[in-house]
Amino acid sequence: MATTTESHTAPPAPTGAAARPPRRARRPRRHGHALPYLLLLPATAVLALVLGYPLVRLVIISFQDYGLRALFTGVITWAGLANYQAVWQDPQLLPVLARTGAFCAALVAGTLVIGLLVALMMARLGPRMRTAVTLCLITSWAMPPVAATLVWQWLFQPVYGVVNWLLTQTGLFGDLTQHDWTTSALSAFAIVWLLVVWQSVPFVALTLYAGLSQIPRSYYEAAAIDGAGAWTVFRVITLPFLRPILVLVTILSVIWDFNIFTQIWILTQGGPGGGTTTLGIWSFTKAFSGNSFGQGAAIAVVSVLLLLVLTLYYVRRLVRSGEDL
Amino acid sequence: MTPFGASGRPTLRRVPLNAAAALFCLLWIFPVYWMVNTAFKPYGDILSPAPQFLPFPLSFANFADAIGKPGFLTDLRNSLVVTAAVVVLAVVVAFFAAVALTRLRFAGRRTFLIAVLVVQMVPLPALVIPVFLSLKSAHLLDNLLALVLTYAAIVLPFTIWTLRGFLHGIPVELEEAAMVDGAGRMTITRRILLPLVMPGVIATSVFAFITAWNDYLFANVLMKDQAHETLPVWLVSFSTATGTDYGGLIAASTLSALPVIVFFMLIQRRLVAGMTAGAVKD
Amino acid sequence: MRIRSLAAVSCAVSTALLTAACGSSSSSSAATGGASGGTRTLTVWMMDGDLSTQATNAINTAFEKATGARVKVQIQEWANINTRISTALAQDNPPDVLEIGNTDVPLFAATGALADITAQRSDLSAGQTWLPGLVGPATVDGKVFAAPLFAGNRAVIYNKTVWAKAGITAPPASFAEFTQDLNKIKANDTAPGFSAMNLPGRYWYAALQFVWDAGGQLATKDAGGKWTGQLESPAAQQGLTAWKSFQNTYSSVASRNTDNKTPDQAAMFAQGKTATLVDTSINTILKDNPSLQGRLGTFAFPSVATAGATQPVFLGGSDLAVAAKSPNQQLAQAYLKAATSQTVQTSAIVGTDHWTPVSTQLLDSTQSLLPPTSAAFFDAAKNSVGTPATPGWATIESDLSINQFFADIATGRKSVAQAAKDFDAHLDQALNAAS
Repeated sequence: MATTTESHTAPPAPTGAAARPPRRARRPRRHGHALPYLLLLPATAVLALVLGYPLVRLVIISFQDYGLRALFTGVITWAGLANYQAVWQDPQLLPVLARTGAFCAALVAGTLVIGLLVALMMARLGPRMRTAVTLCLITSWAMPPVAATLVWQWLFQPVYGVVNWLLTQTGLFGDLTQHDWTTSALSAFAIVWLLVVWQSVPFVALTLYAGLSQIPRSYYEAAAIDGAGAWTVFRVITLPFLRPILVLVTILSVIWDFNIFTQIWILTQGGPGGGTTTLGIWSFTKAFSGNSFGQGAAIAVVSVLLLLVLTLYYVRRLVRSGEDL
Repeated sequence: MTPFGASGRPTLRRVPLNAAAALFCLLWIFPVYWMVNTAFKPYGDILSPAPQFLPFPLSFANFADAIGKPGFLTDLRNSLVVTAAVVVLAVVVAFFAAVALTRLRFAGRRTFLIAVLVVQMVPLPALVIPVFLSLKSAHLLDNLLALVLTYAAIVLPFTIWTLRGFLHGIPVELEEAAMVDGAGRMTITRRILLPLVMPGVIATSVFAFITAWNDYLFANVLMKDQAHETLPVWLVSFSTATGTDYGGLIAASTLSALPVIVFFMLIQRRLVAGMTAGAVKD
Repeated sequence: MRIRSLAAVSCAVSTALLTAACGSSSSSSAATGGASGGTRTLTVWMMDGDLSTQATNAINTAFEKATGARVKVQIQEWANINTRISTALAQDNPPDVLEIGNTDVPLFAATGALADITAQRSDLSAGQTWLPGLVGPATVDGKVFAAPLFAGNRAVIYNKTVWAKAGITAPPASFAEFTQDLNKIKANDTAPGFSAMNLPGRYWYAALQFVWDAGGQLATKDAGGKWTGQLESPAAQQGLTAWKSFQNTYSSVASRNTDNKTPDQAAMFAQGKTATLVDTSINTILKDNPSLQGRLGTFAFPSVATAGATQPVFLGGSDLAVAAKSPNQQLAQAYLKAATSQTVQTSAIVGTDHWTPVSTQLLDSTQSLLPPTSAAFFDAAKNSVGTPATPGWATIESDLSINQFFADIATGRKSVAQAAKDFDAHLDQALNAAS
């Protein structure tokens, strides 16, 4: 299975605007007529046909007993709230929710911390070393997720995987050549975590680096005169300047990591014993293995609602910060 | 050059820093290096418990195996056509939307922005059947246009948000000043707006490129005829019920990653330059 | 105002999109309707890695000679095949004939996707008795929805050279002899990365043989049509325990949680990483390493429970079905007839591909045509079992719960009793789910 948007294969965000310190508000011109709507028409048309209408359909299906028979014959029976009830009563629900939340948090935290550190490092590096880091970041970013996941499987394969061999060579952990990382849920999550972080850090690091480079030097010079320590400088100058970009990067990371699918599915298929089943995997197996598209849809609707609640505060903040500029 | 003023003895201070950077590079490039290394190994060396870190003597057998797999050229062409169309469509359409969102005030602006963000929250696998049904109703199945529209829709939310950000960063005063100087509207768009928004266009086209190039989920379901297959579907063909051709699979993965990496490398200067372009101080 | 001209372009883009959409839809519908005049073309979906090109061509030639129509074969990949078949069959212009794995057939037969061919059955089978493992899953409420194409099953494949080095020259006649042989090979070659036998923990086809051998079953159906998982039964648990002990003793630790494809077991065998396998054919091994030609031996897996007997094997294979929405029903049936005919089965399915043919009569009449390495597969096929013939079975295969179940036991994550209890609960739920 493969799509790309679950991973952080996204290019840098609009740092040009977000990183700039707030300044005089600009009033967009007001137009009373159809002009803005005409400009939005193509985007709206594409979004409505391929995402909007299907989204409505997804919600409708979640209230239907929609399986293969319905798909083939077009004869559909309504299920009322049965799909949601089934999800609610499923003993898997709580563990899956907890797992999804914890895994998403671990991914977002890992990506942001490493990304921020790399960005800070890049800002201090000489031009040659910085180019080298940039090239490495860009290469891992450009790897198609499916190809990257296959390579990961290859790296961590028991007996033939180079990671097991390297770890065995260090002599620290004994003979790991026969070790299978997907045998326990925790180590299975660990390799998925490494993969997703490996692919997501470039976006975050490059975006934050772009933001860092826009902080006026004079601020740091003033801080140096005042004799401020490195941590104080980071807390008082760097962090406040980076905040708008950090909010945007965090919100995108949360959305992407919450719905992570390809990497888990190829590496662990949700196992062992359902130990790596997140909401996305759960919805997928209900819909496509169990052929109950209704239940799959219900789980998807629930997960969108959850994500909305989780990000509502930041979404509002993000929209408002854009309006203020 | 560093924005951090405190730089006493730069060369000395940079030793641990450079070491950290070198270690980071090593770690980050290793999986890619390993993929390429494996792809160039002769067949018998792939399943070896003691790894070989250099692929010499170079073997192109895996690549020959990959390219020889039926459908490569057709699927490559389809992928290129779809990806190019998605990049152009998404960027143009998002640019219009971004202009409206940043230069005009109208009712429903905030709603549109939020709606676009929410659409991005839907897990894509859950959308496969609804998208299939919608495109079936529109009689677009088994038509490359269906893939173009689907991928364009998937990348549009991000594209619109990003271009909106870049347009925000361009002061309206610049355009107004040019207008006062008597420049025509096309001149303003071409000479002022476009160059300034170019980094944003590049960044978003990268995103669109990767998404369209890599999707398997929708390509597998929306295209019935083999003549309309794309590369990710071809990639899956290395794993059959009777076995997985690992050498071929890794070589094929390398081939499929290649255009994306080349595309990135070509524009990386402009990409990073674009990201730092906003650094012009006020 | 500049923005106004942008709006005009924006309008034009929208119109272009709309026209493109409409234009393409009319052309695509014209293409599907155009099959009526002149030579008709039948679209057939075949699965990757099943029939060789020569065998498929033999069917096509027989069909084209009989009808004068053309065939367009499209090879499909196994990954997510059910999703692909589901969406293809839901369209108004589906492929006419599809090859469907025998365990997946109930999923489509019971849901209205396939054409009912009950009336043609006697004409197609021409007096032959189709193998129950192939036609059973395609039968719902007495109606037949698919014709058998070929069967395949598993036997033990071993490297004669490596076995001979350990002093073994003849295939074992009993399970006790088999384990003695493996012990010798294990003692003879202790190189890291080599294992006497490769029997991956997730390779459920082979694991099930032990369950059936001990008299256990996957699930049973009561008079009311309700399925109940039976792995908790003492017989099944005995089989599971025997399998675990065999797997843990002779296959590597690394193989306890892997399947037969990661790493690819045929490739491992071809490169001498293992001396013994359970697999469906020797073709992949020979493709990977042609120098093994003549150095391979095969035998049916000996029974643990009964001396002299062989383990019951899982009967895999494929059926050919006609899409219910296909406009070319009669041509499609003619294709089924060509594929199941005795000539094609004898020359192509058995002669070229060495697969097991679709009827008991053919099983007897073709045995003499086979190379010695294929004989063991036919021996094993005589004692074969199928998976529960219900749409819900496809869920068990596609959510990979059965792979997990056996890996749980092999790795010791769960005790045999606990794993059986959990998996029975999943079987009860999945096998009885309506689709």
